[in-house]
Amino acid sequence: MAKQVISPSEAESSERWEAQLRKGCLEMAVLASLWNGRLYGLEILRVLERDSSLVLAEGTIYPILNRLRTEGLVLSEWVEAEAGHPRKYYELTNIGRERAIRMAETWTQFSAGLGRLIEPVLENNYGNNNVERPL
Amino acid sequence: MTPEALVNDYLARLRASLIGLTVSEREDIVQEIQMHIRERIADPQASLEAILAGLGPAAELAQQYRTGILVQRARRSISPLVILRAALRWATTGIEGFIVFLIAIIGYATGVSFLLMALLKPSFPHNTGLWVGPDQFNLSFRMGMTMANPTPPVHEVLGWWLIPLCLIIGSLSLALTTKLLQFLFRRFRWRVPFASAIQTRPAMMAF
Repeated sequence: MAKQVISPSEAESSERWEAQLRKGCLEMAVLASLWNGRLYGLEILRVLERDSSLVLAEGTIYPILNRLRTEGLVLSEWVEAEAGHPRKYYELTNIGRERAIRMAETWTQFSAGLGRLIEPVLENNYGNNNVERPL
Repeated sequence: MTPEALVNDYLARLRASLIGLTVSEREDIVQEIQMHIRERIADPQASLEAILAGLGPAAELAQQYRTGILVQRARRSISPLVILRAALRWATTGIEGFIVFLIAIIGYATGVSFLLMALLKPSFPHNTGLWVGPDQFNLSFRMGMTMANPTPPVHEVLGWWLIPLCLIIGSLSLALTTKLLQFLFRRFRWRVPFASAIQTRPAMMAF
């Protein structure tokens, strides 16, 4: 089998696909991070990084939180913290909770379905690379 | 620049870019970003430059907020001005948004033109109308204002009916454009606000 050369445009479009994928999950990730209770922006970033390896540009989280708030999925509240300066905490509303549940269910079904589909792709890649597959 | 001046400068640019928001919306955002910086700087390993770079350029950060808020408003609003503003913002994010903006412009322009015709008819009864007549081999229509009275066999067909007709068509165009755009704003809700939001760091991803 000839070695495939990945062209720059191919790498770029695959990167773009990955960015789209991550962007699509972001909303669910933020809602899920608030599942166990209220957090402020920086904490959300840390939880996402710790639990999902989802690394965001730090400035990204705040406009998203703002939008989730205007959509009624989260509530925000300024709390005077021991740190000496106030922090803006976010918590899920009931609508936000329901949305998080629905998203998590959809996600699980979706990824299980795709998992079956891509199984042969992964097998073919890591296992017997040169075997001709019957059509 | 001292660190403090650097932060103040960043916040001032952010504030200046957050146009179109209410004062309380704007100050709330600025305070949250200010607290973010203050909290991050407490970490001795973090440099102020890196923190500000993480937030991205102030104008870009403001843009992400504005897009979200404008689209959010436009989804509920029936004001052509609010909708046009959101469409214009969307237009800056790519071809999809640009097409939406064109639809908005054309739709509203059509509506306004028809309403204008209805308004002009009483003042210029002989110059406003729908003219029909043979033009070589085709039947031609001409609707709108004209300076010279066209010669027969070209003639005006609507008379005063022009006013109710134009009022109805004009209002319908405005209403339909608004409905269509609201639908588009809802339909593409997840795609609009964050065009370049996410850092690409493939190595960190664990899918």
